[in-house]
Amino acid sequence: MNRKIILYTLGIVCMAESGLMLVPIICALFYQEQEGFAYVFTAGITFILGYALGHKKPENTMFYLKEGCIATALSWIVLSLIGAVPFVLTGEIPYYPDALFETVSGFTTTGASILGNVEALSHCSIMWRSFTHWIGGMGVLVFLLAIIPLSGGSTINLMRAESPGPSVGKFSPHLKQTARVLYLIYVALTVFEFLVLIISGMPFFDAINISFGTAGTGGFAIRNSGFAEYTFAQQWIVTIFMIIFGVNFNFYYLLLVRDIKDALRMEEVKAYFGIIIASTVIITLNILPVYHNVSLAVKDAAFQVGSIITTTGFATTDFNVWPTLSKTILVTLMFIGACAGSTGGGIKVSRIIITLKAFVRESNSYIHPKSVKNVNMDGKPLDENNVRSVNVYMSTFTLIFVISVLLVSIEGRDFTTNFTAVAATINNIGPGLGDVGPASNFESFSTFSKFVMIFDMLFGRLEFFPLIVLFHPTVWKEMHEDIRAAKKRRRIKVSTKVVQKKYEHDAKKM
Amino acid sequence: MFGQKNLTEIKPLKIMIVGCGKVGIALIEQLSKEGNEITIVDKNHDIIDKLTNTYDIIGYHGNGASYGVLTEAGIEDMDLFIAVTESDEMNLLCCTIAGRITECSTIARVRDPDISREIGYLRERLGLTMIINPEFEAARETAKILYLPAALEVNTFAHGQAEIIKFKVEAGSILDGVTIAEFSSRNNNAVLFCAVERGEEVSIPTGFFRFKAGDVVSFVAPRRGNRARLKLLNLATPQVHNCLIVGGSESAFYLAKELLQNKISVTLIEKEKKRCEELAEELDGANIINGDGTDEELLKEEGLESVDSFIPLTGIDEENVMLTLHARKVSDAKVVTKINRFAFKDVTDNLDLGSVIYPMVITSEAIIAYARAKRASLDSNIESLYHMYDGRVEAIEFLIRNESPVTGTPIMKLPLKKNVLITCISRNGNLIFPGGSDTLEVGDTVMIVTKNFGFQDIHDILDSSNGRE
Repeated sequence: MNRKIILYTLGIVCMAESGLMLVPIICALFYQEQEGFAYVFTAGITFILGYALGHKKPENTMFYLKEGCIATALSWIVLSLIGAVPFVLTGEIPYYPDALFETVSGFTTTGASILGNVEALSHCSIMWRSFTHWIGGMGVLVFLLAIIPLSGGSTINLMRAESPGPSVGKFSPHLKQTARVLYLIYVALTVFEFLVLIISGMPFFDAINISFGTAGTGGFAIRNSGFAEYTFAQQWIVTIFMIIFGVNFNFYYLLLVRDIKDALRMEEVKAYFGIIIASTVIITLNILPVYHNVSLAVKDAAFQVGSIITTTGFATTDFNVWPTLSKTILVTLMFIGACAGSTGGGIKVSRIIITLKAFVRESNSYIHPKSVKNVNMDGKPLDENNVRSVNVYMSTFTLIFVISVLLVSIEGRDFTTNFTAVAATINNIGPGLGDVGPASNFESFSTFSKFVMIFDMLFGRLEFFPLIVLFHPTVWKEMHEDIRAAKKRRRIKVSTKVVQKKYEHDAKKM
Repeated sequence: MFGQKNLTEIKPLKIMIVGCGKVGIALIEQLSKEGNEITIVDKNHDIIDKLTNTYDIIGYHGNGASYGVLTEAGIEDMDLFIAVTESDEMNLLCCTIAGRITECSTIARVRDPDISREIGYLRERLGLTMIINPEFEAARETAKILYLPAALEVNTFAHGQAEIIKFKVEAGSILDGVTIAEFSSRNNNAVLFCAVERGEEVSIPTGFFRFKAGDVVSFVAPRRGNRARLKLLNLATPQVHNCLIVGGSESAFYLAKELLQNKISVTLIEKEKKRCEELAEELDGANIINGDGTDEELLKEEGLESVDSFIPLTGIDEENVMLTLHARKVSDAKVVTKINRFAFKDVTDNLDLGSVIYPMVITSEAIIAYARAKRASLDSNIESLYHMYDGRVEAIEFLIRNESPVTGTPIMKLPLKKNVLITCISRNGNLIFPGGSDTLEVGDTVMIVTKNFGFQDIHDILDSSNGRE
């Protein structure tokens, strides 16, 4: 295993994070806040740490899938561990596991909070919280791939480990360009949303934070009331942008660079919009008796559907009090999630489509046992490996989900709370139902349950396998053997040097 | 370091490669290392997956001769199209179609002698830029070595006027323990040494360099009189008079033909009866033996122990290597080994095989040289490019088109980069081996040998850090 390249990547990630902390630092300067020093301090230490690990590029820059997975998983863990430090230093979230929960929730774009009173936070901490969404949305490593020359083609394994969805497509031969195009679309859309929100009359600070939160499909609110205080128009703007960020970014690339026809042929995007429209209509009809006002009902239904399916998790209203049918639809949407290749979480629409198609094929095979059929996607047959990996993903998801619900229920809360709390974290949404509904938060959980959910969030964002690989016993064994072999090599080197010196010495004498 | 920087500054080429066999992979590796944007097309899913995982390239699955697949892969934007699939006809078809869709340059690999005989006609009629035949090139390289058996490798430059010859310093040779300066003063500067490999290290030697037994040395010399030079170096150089070839592959055919033309008698052993008959028909004057070339007794019978040269050309690398080792044990014949697969090079390197030829490397070198030249197409001045010592040293020929800081200044006053050597100048068809007071002029073709990679133009040889300060 290539240990050095993993450490090097971690070093670069640390340096990048200290750079990213400039955002809250600038914010603290702007609002003249004391809390900024916590960020300056953390950024400084992190940079030194990162420089120590990453200043020298190792000779062997080969990333196999294994290294890609481990580097990605470790990067996300390190990123979260460091990102949580300022919250503790400022005293705003004094208990470290709580701060970690908040940070992981930020980076994984979950948006589940342990804070009851968000407005008590300093501006710079709110900014950092929202900014973690934005970074986590497209991915830190994809960001690094776009800016630093991590040469060697095998770095696609990094992107593969970090990007959501069953398969990673490149737009252009060079990974760097692909990463740049992704970030370019990402930044452009974020700026666009920000401008639209400003025009709609939203305050500057709110507009930035909400843009970050929407773009990353995160969902940290910056007001205690969530979204209820914003105007009708602003809520619609956010609804539309949430849905935009849940679309596969390949769609935008095709739209911009290639043919519109190619873009419109994407089955996933069509299904995604289909699900949104259908769910909105059903929920609107279902909640109409409570609302008595069609436009209000449509707005809240659309906002909530958009917020849940893209796994953002903003709330304009407490949907905990909605009728059961609506709540059930929302929970279903939690699992479906956004499109692959977007910033959203969940199982992903494309996986659902593939699973359904594979299901149809399997059931047909009972009628014609010898028939040979491909699973088609966008008019092309899908590789059997892809179908298999989707099936494996689904079973892993189920397994981890069941185990997590089991672990969380040790605490003895009601089933709705446990079930939706895990669903909301593993799918990176944020609010669930029951005790974790939009009007409440995750603070009351025990530290143990919080750690279970921290892992669920990371599992959900990295789509299980990078983290599972990290905890695979073989990897640890290899790592251990690697270190031992390196030590042995060093010893041999030293001893040959001694022999050589002796030899030279003797030769001189003669 | 500087060289690589230069490369990234220039706009990368968009290259499409159809067929990911041995040559395809060698091309992908080298061309992607140089920062080009590479798209590959292959019919095999697994190979595409594997390659896109290892290199920074994009892969499409499908038939490279299909219009649909090519347009999907973005053929419209390509600068260069290379077809190196298994099949000659497929390669020609791919290139023809690609050439019809867009204006890019097309290169096809063609191996069949029947087709490759008409290379000129095909190239013109089908609008191809380059047709390359690895078997033929390999045979030509082999023949060159046989004309100068003391050499390990012979490369031709300056339209055949100059050659780079590689040989090994044996213990007790007159070079053993002598510095370059000493040798040159004794022999009137007759030999220009340009690169030395000692152990793992390759260097561009200065006058103070002291040779040691076991060094592999290259020198540049005009084509005529090389035998005399090798004599100076005390290397026996009788040209071979007969040759024993094992295996009746395409390259064996090309080699036999070339050797026969130069009045070297050829004995060729081939297992398959039918192929023997074909060869007997095509190769007038060759002695074709129908038998198993890996049979020790048969080889003995055909005079392996007394033959001048022995070339194993079976389709299997392992067999070739074994035959070479056997031949080197039982006879003094000059042996040239053809190895198709580049893998396990560290093993074959340690085997003392003598001259080794990699057809795949020859092919990819030719294509890469073209790609590089194309990359800087507006003012590219690369005439030809060779990799020496497994690509650790490059020999490049530049054409000087216009006045630049390089021209007009005596060579000893030029601030050259480290590990750069100006070896020879071709001026008005005459070959000059420059001394310190000679100058480079517009219109010259200059050959340099360097360890720095990615030179695009002659002024890249100057150490620009001095100039800027």
